[in-house]
Amino acid sequence: MHKIAEVEIQHDIMVANKKIAQRNQRMLDKAGVFTVDVLGAIGSGKTSLIEILIQKMNHKIGVIAGDVISKFDAGRFQKYDIPVIGLNTGKECHLDAHLVEHAFQDLPLKEIDLLFVENVGNLICPVDFDLGSHMRMVVVSVTEGDDTVEKHPLIFKDADLVVINKIDIAEAVGADEEKMANDAKMLNPDVEVIKSSLKTGEGVKEIIKAIEDFMK
Amino acid sequence: MHELSMADAIVKTVLDAAEKNQAEEILEVTIEIGKLTMLNPEQLRFLLEVLTEDTLLEGADIIIEEIPVKIKCNNCDYTGSTNLDDSDHYLMIVKCPECDERNLEVITGQECNVKNIRIEKPE
Repeated sequence: MHKIAEVEIQHDIMVANKKIAQRNQRMLDKAGVFTVDVLGAIGSGKTSLIEILIQKMNHKIGVIAGDVISKFDAGRFQKYDIPVIGLNTGKECHLDAHLVEHAFQDLPLKEIDLLFVENVGNLICPVDFDLGSHMRMVVVSVTEGDDTVEKHPLIFKDADLVVINKIDIAEAVGADEEKMANDAKMLNPDVEVIKSSLKTGEGVKEIIKAIEDFMK
Repeated sequence: MHELSMADAIVKTVLDAAEKNQAEEILEVTIEIGKLTMLNPEQLRFLLEVLTEDTLLEGADIIIEEIPVKIKCNNCDYTGSTNLDDSDHYLMIVKCPECDERNLEVITGQECNVKNIRIEKPE
């Protein structure tokens, strides 16, 4: 004889990720490692910005390079002789707390006081996955179109710092960087917005100051 | 865009619960998806159907309940949703519909919850 039964499960996969993220943050706090998520679309300048920060910031820096195939970005960081972990996401469009937990465990955290976690180039999926970092920096470039910020409200709503990059070519691509900055402020009034060109170096000092202020 | 990994996690959760409860067949599974998640219910349903082939879950009714967005305003204490249509649901997390305040908490709308299953099991 068989019977029909209803089984309550109530397992929220988002909550499960959040719990691991909280555990990650406790581990990072204990190790004294300030961690910055670096988010943004493909080609916005995330990797280039991290490379500049490695060279200009006076900290013991480590990097987790997340990508569909991570060896290319990881290779760019390794030449600075710092701790780097490449995280291949394969088919996945984002990092999640479980994936980075393993990378945190593999890093020599004692040798690091500032860790950048470069996410997969994507303005959509990483929104759903908190990693346990202390700060979220979103890099958006004018070449993506000046309506990019308003079209992706959730990622900008949660950001602590927004970098609007490649402003040296804004005119050439017909983008209004002021509009992008205003859109970010409209979505997130407390967010710091910095306009930059990693080619000319404009805005880099301000980005460093913003991260250091956040670390205090 | 990350429906595949979420579908995979849902299938594992359901099969695990089915096994613990000695299910011989899973008739129905109910999943709650918040409207603020970046998950498309129809894509999720398609992937669940693909991933459940040759498992105990194959052929089960998949019920997806969408959870509306609810916010709490930290200025005027307004709690609830708005009359915005579906395409504008992001707007309500930007400012309070009552007082335009932008300091808000999201109460619901971020779920991907495996709520329950209906199974057939031995007496």
